[in-house]
Amino acid sequence: MTADQSHEHEHVSLSGEEAPPPPPIAPAEPGTFKKALRQKRFTVGLGITVLLVAFVIFAPYLAPYGENEVAGPPYNKATGLFGTDYLGQDVLSRVMHGGGEILLIALLGTLLGMVLGIAIGVVAAYGGGWWDEVLMRLNDVILSFPQILLALVVLTALQRPSAWVLIVLVGVSHAPRVARLARGVALGIVTRDFVIAAEALGERRSRVILAEVLPNMNAPLLAEGGLRLTYSIGLVGALGFLGFSADPGAANWGQMIQENRLGLATQPWAVLAPVLIIAIFAIGTNLMADGIAQVAQRGDN
Amino acid sequence: MLIHGATGGSSKDTLDPHAPVTAADIARVNNLYEPLLFWNNNYELEPALAESVEGSEDAKTWTIKMRAGVTFHNGKTVTADDAWKSIQRVANPDAPLSAGGQLSTILDFGACKVVDDTTLQLVLKAPYAILDSLLAEYTLGIIPGGEFDPANPVGTGAFAYKSFEPGKTSTFTKYADYWGDAAFVDELQIQDFSDDSARVNALQAGQIQTVDNLPYNLVDTIKGAGGGTLITDTGAWVPFTMRVDQAPFNDVKVRQAFRLIVDRQQMIDQALSGYGSLGNDMYAPFDVAYAADLPQREQDIDQAKALLKEAGQEGLQVELFTGDDIGSVATAAANLFKEQAKAAGVDVKVTKKTPFYDDQYLQYTFAQDFWNTRNYIPQAVVGTFPPDQGGTYNETHWDNADHRDLVNAAAQELDDTKRAELLHQAQEIEYNEGGLIIWGFRQQVDGYGPNVNGLEGSKYLPLGSYKFNKVSVQ
Amino acid sequence: MTDLGTIVASPLEEVAPPRGQHGAAAWFLWIARRLGLAVLTLWLVSILVFLATAALGDPIRAILGRDYNANPGRVAELEKLLNADASIFSRYFDWLGGLLTGDLGTSLASGRPVSELISGPVQNSAMLVFLAAIVMIPVSFLIAMISVHYRRRRPDTVIQTVLLAIAGLPEFVIGVLLLALLATTVFKVFPAVTISSPTGHPWDNWKVMVLPTLTLVLWVSPYVSRIVRASLLEVIDSEYVELARLKGIPEGVVMRKHALLNAIVPGIQVIALQLAFLAGGVVVVETLFSYPGIGLQLVDSVRNHDVQVVQALSMIIASVYVVVNLIADLLSILLTPRARTAISS
Repeated sequence: MTADQSHEHEHVSLSGEEAPPPPPIAPAEPGTFKKALRQKRFTVGLGITVLLVAFVIFAPYLAPYGENEVAGPPYNKATGLFGTDYLGQDVLSRVMHGGGEILLIALLGTLLGMVLGIAIGVVAAYGGGWWDEVLMRLNDVILSFPQILLALVVLTALQRPSAWVLIVLVGVSHAPRVARLARGVALGIVTRDFVIAAEALGERRSRVILAEVLPNMNAPLLAEGGLRLTYSIGLVGALGFLGFSADPGAANWGQMIQENRLGLATQPWAVLAPVLIIAIFAIGTNLMADGIAQVAQRGDN
Repeated sequence: MLIHGATGGSSKDTLDPHAPVTAADIARVNNLYEPLLFWNNNYELEPALAESVEGSEDAKTWTIKMRAGVTFHNGKTVTADDAWKSIQRVANPDAPLSAGGQLSTILDFGACKVVDDTTLQLVLKAPYAILDSLLAEYTLGIIPGGEFDPANPVGTGAFAYKSFEPGKTSTFTKYADYWGDAAFVDELQIQDFSDDSARVNALQAGQIQTVDNLPYNLVDTIKGAGGGTLITDTGAWVPFTMRVDQAPFNDVKVRQAFRLIVDRQQMIDQALSGYGSLGNDMYAPFDVAYAADLPQREQDIDQAKALLKEAGQEGLQVELFTGDDIGSVATAAANLFKEQAKAAGVDVKVTKKTPFYDDQYLQYTFAQDFWNTRNYIPQAVVGTFPPDQGGTYNETHWDNADHRDLVNAAAQELDDTKRAELLHQAQEIEYNEGGLIIWGFRQQVDGYGPNVNGLEGSKYLPLGSYKFNKVSVQ
Repeated sequence: MTDLGTIVASPLEEVAPPRGQHGAAAWFLWIARRLGLAVLTLWLVSILVFLATAALGDPIRAILGRDYNANPGRVAELEKLLNADASIFSRYFDWLGGLLTGDLGTSLASGRPVSELISGPVQNSAMLVFLAAIVMIPVSFLIAMISVHYRRRRPDTVIQTVLLAIAGLPEFVIGVLLLALLATTVFKVFPAVTISSPTGHPWDNWKVMVLPTLTLVLWVSPYVSRIVRASLLEVIDSEYVELARLKGIPEGVVMRKHALLNAIVPGIQVIALQLAFLAGGVVVVETLFSYPGIGLQLVDSVRNHDVQVVQALSMIIASVYVVVNLIADLLSILLTPRARTAISS
């Protein structure tokens, strides 16, 4: 077995209905998105995600109460659609205000993780030899450290989690996982004719990577990106749940769960509303990722 | 057997009588050890291991008569020597423990002496009229020879040590030879809980019988489930602290403006679910000298805006530091203040620190803190004096010689009326210029199971000052 | 966090089989190399753990909190315990030496030996993961087999869609939903939190274990099940099974004897790695249910800057990951004829 077969395996696992023997790697094809659109789960996932992003952007303007406005007594079920939270703020309004941070951190964190991971993976694959050995060993070290544990220690050490810290943390914790995949995909590509040809023509290595290797990796990486986004949402939410978020007063779905946990028996909506919206978000991105994964795995057919 | 569920116990728990850290520690210390005097449920002094504590005419020499026939859990009789050595441990001038800060500066160690087995004479460097109140703190329990043995802690309390696992649980057995009312239950267990939902659930399930510091917004839930709640007025407060030596709060107009921004009733209604009473930017509400006649300050956005304008601070931006380790009320109050300040055009950025009490504590320009019930003089000393004069917690960096002289004069004044007058003047200064925003005093709300009897609320500490010897379980 | 990206890495990817060697020697070399890499990884992890925890703030301040300034006596006592004067190198090597000889040091917050402090939580978490495993494995395989039985027909599609939806959910979402459904709001059947007696174990009351276990199972089985299904499909579509079918062997036997056996290898790897992930993934679940395991202990110790305990627990979690990884690699090589011959030929 070679390296590329190992994540091809992964894509088999991600696949849905049909699993014909896939080609070793998914080469670049311009129509990944178009093909994905033909997948029902991708369109559903995309639909959910787009709706949610629109909700996050526009809902704050439509919310009946302000983000920190007092609407009634604490844990009051009679106020508003979902009642009030631990401080007497309107739960519905808090949900409507509270998506920005989690969305932004998850998106940028994922992006950073992908960029870092691809860079590491491609350099390892293309550099080969010692580069490969050292990078992958360091990769293993971070991998054996669960994401949440890393976040817990770093955030405590820093004392004040700002949004940027959270983004870097999410990105760094994704990077080694992405790097593994990127390295495998890149290994399959660097031995291909067009790359070898480019090198033979005397192109600089960095140029070869940028011009030939990277564009040829997009489909499986896109799928990975979707998957990472799902995990990012979970991670940012979990950190908020553990009490780490950038602004303690701001509405924030993860933090809302933590703030109102005590009231689960008294005023369940204060907890369930943010939990459900995180659930819908995660399901949406996961469906989308799986749709792309299927396209990536099927390749050119 | 009685099982008490304590808040916030963790692996840093200790049984040291003179350095309790967590609320679980305080519950344990109050049952294992006893000081020379007690604060009773009404926050008045009453004799405990000392039968009497009498000051001389000039309040410089204090004579302590020990109660006869009190024994430690190891059977040894309590002597004046034990008391003196315990005081020395706490008030070690080089390294005082929490109850010893004030004592270490006023005691004349060379002149103090153990007269006989039952008499201790304390001599002070300067007159101090309320020395007795310092001896009543729960952090000044008397232990044999003033030596604490972590492996086998010995005190005089109604319960004796049996086992201890930090962060988990500790057990105590009834001390049959207790000098006061012997306990009803044979065994006391104090169970640590890291979070409130676990404790509330355990109480409802009957797995524990008492809990202290119920979250305010769950009081109705507990009542609904058939449990009892013990609600007591306290002098405990969670102030906002403004550093008077730093911009923008070095301008008294800004300080007064901030005090006018706070909607005190809303703070109580939302952050305390209504379980509290209004504060008037002065502490020690149970002190006989409390200046209740000063007009109650209320929210006045217009005047606040005018003051800010006069100070040239329109559109002011400030950062407010808070943290979970101050207590759950703190973050809630901070978030409310942020919203209230918007009306006055002040932009407050709330920053939550974990932990809040790190090396930045006492350096924050604008932050919060928590205080329990205390009388005016000791509170003023620790909270408003410079650090070298005993102000170990001077969050606002308040340094006002007039105020300090009044407090010091009052501390030496034996005449109650004259002392009250001095203290009234001191409070007026703080009311007009101080750096504390005291928006309310919270009520203490504790919970107990339907089968528990004998609990009485205390203004001093939760659950009737944790005197579990008075509690019976059916 | 469960993670497909890493679970199905091939054991042979990292370590190419030694060529030109035969039989036992090749085996020995392969295992030695693999062990060596594991030890190297753990050593690097120890450096990372040490540096990360050294960056935690002053533990004495975290312990005394507000009373730090008012309590110089206790500060002096704790400073003596901390040995803060030594250089970071000598502290690292002291610690590493202790680790290798099984001495995990003393918890600063409680003054007790770390090993004593964490033995209970380690047992409790191990029990939780064990329970989750023995429920998760048969359930995942069963669902996969049902799905494959109806492959590419409606029940399969429905099962796959449901699994896919659950697979995207973070653990705290699953946990809170279960809490609301089975403990606090809809049906009040199970306790919402774990209340362990001081002497016994949390599992003395079986009801306490239900919700945390169920959360872990729901979190992990969708992945396992989907991977098992995919490998089952791969095998079933292969010529070799087709041949068995042509020979007239009944479908049920084909499924049990041929397909399942071949699908077990990727299954083992996935399961092993999911279990390794759970060792760290229990943090949130244990916090949610106040379950007294390593996750809860870790959160407590991190808050107190109790460096020694955080270090010990981090090393344990990382070791579990590395060791389980190693075992999974070994097992799948032993069970895969192709890989066996690759090594010893």
